[in-house]
Amino acid sequence: MSIGIILCQYGKDCQDQELTSLSGKLERNKYTDYLYSDQHFLMPLLRFEQSDLKCKNGCDYFGNPQWQGYCSKCHREQMSRQRRAEKASSATLPKPEQKKADHGLKLTARSSFSKFEEKRQRQSETLKKANLLKFTVFKKSSTDDHDHTPEKRPPEFKIPSMVNDGMKQDFRARFPNLPPQVDRDSRVFVHTFIMDVMKCASVMTVDELSERVQRQYQRFMKHMDTSQHFANVEPDTKEQLMDFVEKHAMTYLHDLPSIVFSPIGTDDERADRAMSERIQQLSWVGERHLECKLDRNSASCRQLLYKAISELLSMDSAASPGGKLRQVRRCCRHVLALCGRDGAPASADDLLPALIFTVLKANPPRLVSNINFVTRFCNAQRLMTGEGGYYFTNLCCAVSFIENLTAESLNMDKKEFDCYMAMPASIGGSSWAAALLLCGVEREANEQRAAAQKAREQLQDLQHRADRLAADSHSFEEQISKKVQDVLSKTPLEIKPRRELPRIGKLREISSTPLIDLDTSTSEDTRPLQDVTDSRQPSQSNGNAFIQDSQVEPQTQSSKPVTATEDTEKLNILGFEVIDKPSPTKSPQTIDQPWDLKQTSSLELLTPSPLGYTPFDSRSIDELMTPDEFGADHLAPGLGNINYDIDLSDFSGDNSIAEDAPKPEAKDPFSPDVLKKQMFDPFAPQPQPESLNSILEKFDEFSLTYTGNKTLDPFEIVHRGADPFSPPGFTGSLPQNSSRDPFSPVQNESTSILDHNESPTAASLLPSPLQPQSSEKPS
Amino acid sequence: MKVIEAKIVVLGSQGVGKTSLVVRYIGKMFSKHISPTIGASFFTCNINVDDARVKMQVWDTAGQERFRSMAPMYYRNANAALLVFDITNLNSFSAIKGWVRELHSNVQEPMVLSMVGNKCDLEDKRAVSQTEAAQYAASIGANYCETSALHDQGIDQVFRSTAAALLKMSNTGPASLRSYDSADGEPHRLPFGNPSEETATHTGKVELPAWSIDNIAHGEMQRSMCC
Repeated sequence: MSIGIILCQYGKDCQDQELTSLSGKLERNKYTDYLYSDQHFLMPLLRFEQSDLKCKNGCDYFGNPQWQGYCSKCHREQMSRQRRAEKASSATLPKPEQKKADHGLKLTARSSFSKFEEKRQRQSETLKKANLLKFTVFKKSSTDDHDHTPEKRPPEFKIPSMVNDGMKQDFRARFPNLPPQVDRDSRVFVHTFIMDVMKCASVMTVDELSERVQRQYQRFMKHMDTSQHFANVEPDTKEQLMDFVEKHAMTYLHDLPSIVFSPIGTDDERADRAMSERIQQLSWVGERHLECKLDRNSASCRQLLYKAISELLSMDSAASPGGKLRQVRRCCRHVLALCGRDGAPASADDLLPALIFTVLKANPPRLVSNINFVTRFCNAQRLMTGEGGYYFTNLCCAVSFIENLTAESLNMDKKEFDCYMAMPASIGGSSWAAALLLCGVEREANEQRAAAQKAREQLQDLQHRADRLAADSHSFEEQISKKVQDVLSKTPLEIKPRRELPRIGKLREISSTPLIDLDTSTSEDTRPLQDVTDSRQPSQSNGNAFIQDSQVEPQTQSSKPVTATEDTEKLNILGFEVIDKPSPTKSPQTIDQPWDLKQTSSLELLTPSPLGYTPFDSRSIDELMTPDEFGADHLAPGLGNINYDIDLSDFSGDNSIAEDAPKPEAKDPFSPDVLKKQMFDPFAPQPQPESLNSILEKFDEFSLTYTGNKTLDPFEIVHRGADPFSPPGFTGSLPQNSSRDPFSPVQNESTSILDHNESPTAASLLPSPLQPQSSEKPS
Repeated sequence: MKVIEAKIVVLGSQGVGKTSLVVRYIGKMFSKHISPTIGASFFTCNINVDDARVKMQVWDTAGQERFRSMAPMYYRNANAALLVFDITNLNSFSAIKGWVRELHSNVQEPMVLSMVGNKCDLEDKRAVSQTEAAQYAASIGANYCETSALHDQGIDQVFRSTAAALLKMSNTGPASLRSYDSADGEPHRLPFGNPSEETATHTGKVELPAWSIDNIAHGEMQRSMCC
């Protein structure tokens, strides 16, 4: 019963078709109940015939357009029959495809201007679907409300939070300077606005609703004028706010089917279809009929027309009235450009015909619905004034002109006009359609070309950068290698000596063999010493070599080349080419002397304190020192050596007695062999102090004269005199002098100390302990 | 500063020089060649009269006879009309009479009318005498100016006198302002003047200055009852 009443209500407002679709939605059994019980009551109230609702099969049930006019039962039967037939023959197409094919046929039949057509078709299709949907969603649920629970209402009309959030974001973006109250106010307004429209949509006619919406706009306007929140808002900004509010409210409502856009109770949709067909019929109308200055053969003209058409077409996709107005404005701008191509500004006399022509060629989807939507729900003030309003008025005029187009309005013969109208739509206007199609293709081609161009530029850029990267890496490589070379050339020898540490023994052997020969000739003790340790060997040999240098220069020199060659060989092995050059250039003798000086001096500095007076200790120290010294040459300069020396000296001081016995012998062969032996052996403990004192005195004088700069130096010399040479130094004072003579010039030659100190050969060749003194003198 | 917004529609037969008039005026305003995309069909200009500013939106109309039936769309909601005729063409003058009749029948509210006799440079071909035109203009309460778009005579005066008349009309108070018969069911916010009667919203606001959903709902309730 209640359903029947509701249906009656709808019957007043709804189209027949819509009602049938609604009725189709109802449950079948409910429906039959209602039929049998309320038939007599319901039928007289409906505006359509009962037969319209009945199933095509003639059964008593109601039919539904969704089911091809059958009732649900018959439709199911029909479908199953079809499916069976399909299985049997497999020739018949399934329903949807049939439909599609139908469309395709229609399209091809109509015109080649299929692009716009297709869009329009699709849109009307979706609209139809939406129409069906609206019944299921809104109407049905509203009936439920009446029937069952009023609590269902709130969820039904709930505005998605997305609207609110979107507004908030948009507000922040567009009006960053306005206070938050304004934001809140506008959102509250949109909320109430939507709620109000939703509430009223079902009970009001469209005109009433439109009036109500307009009043809402006015109220918001007044609110802006009176509210304190808007006190500081500029009038222009108020206008923008108005548009903003309208946009957000109507955008949401626009997407709801049949609330504001082609609402129920209007024949907007039908008018859309009629208009579309009408425009198709008039596709033959050309520029000469409308007396507008358009040139089909001009590319710029075609382009502009194409742009205008695409703007006009996109009016349908804009959701808010303001957005639609904007599209119209854009379209008209292009049309004006089209009219004013010959320099003179386009006037209304030109604009209107050109716009009519554009509409005819565009055949925009849902044109009437869109126009009605804007006129009803756009803020009236905006519509009545402003550029958008003006162009929209022109569009309305164009539509109205097309609607009422007659032979007279085209200034042509009635017969001819009728002839044209009778003509199939596909024939007329094909040339313009082709021109526009060309335009579209051209634009597409341009887009493609632009895209290709862009891609090419990107590629070039990429290539360029790749090249740059390669160049960079190359230069980097060069720089690195250069730096490496620089570093290597600066400090080429640092590496070498380390590697040679193990070979020093070898070298020593090589270089010492001649020395040993020499030694053997002069002394017997060198050999046993060599055997004891590697480190001691060189020192002794050094000593030997040095002391004997004066005597046996040719031999030592003969050993030099050997070592040099050795060096080069090593270098090659190590793969350092850079080092090759310096190694031959350096002269081992000159190089090592300064280093030796330092080391010896430092050693001497430290050694004396523990040793004190004993000649044994001094000797032992002397021997121990030499190896350390030697090692220090190669390992590291400076402190390392000192430490070693200290330790060694201490230990040696303790243990020296056992070792001492052979060592003096070892020393003996050195410089003043005979003297040493004589001095050493017998005098060992006692006479040394005397000799020391005497040495000290003598050396002090020396040291003072030579090394006055440093505080340490005097100590050195004092000790030196004390430690090793106490016996030999004395006796060897002469030899020392003699040794200085040959070396002093050599040392003068060697200016750079650091460069040469590392060559082991030099170290091996040059006598360690005696040199410092000699070196100090020149420095 | 008081600002008045007004919509002005230019009416007249084809060939009387509506567009030239407008183009000449815009051309002076912009002192440049008019961009073809803007066109001469629609433009806005501000004219200061006394200490008020009149913002005028000038709507040009297509003069072709076949678009004659569309004219109501243009002059709807217009505050002023420029009735342009050609002084060398008697038909254009009689067409003005037709326009005036149409305006009177379709627009109930007062409207500033300005009659413009164009092409006054063609004095020797004059078909409409100045006195006749002036008399008719006085009979319909319109200003009358004679202009020459060719020589740029009197055009500025036409717009200034119109602006002054609009200002005068707005000063006479809300009573004299038009409230359009809303055949399409649309009430309008009037371009200038005082607010129209919207008692419901008004009370809603007065009662509850804090703008909230409840308040609005209350206001709506009342108003819907009123309506």
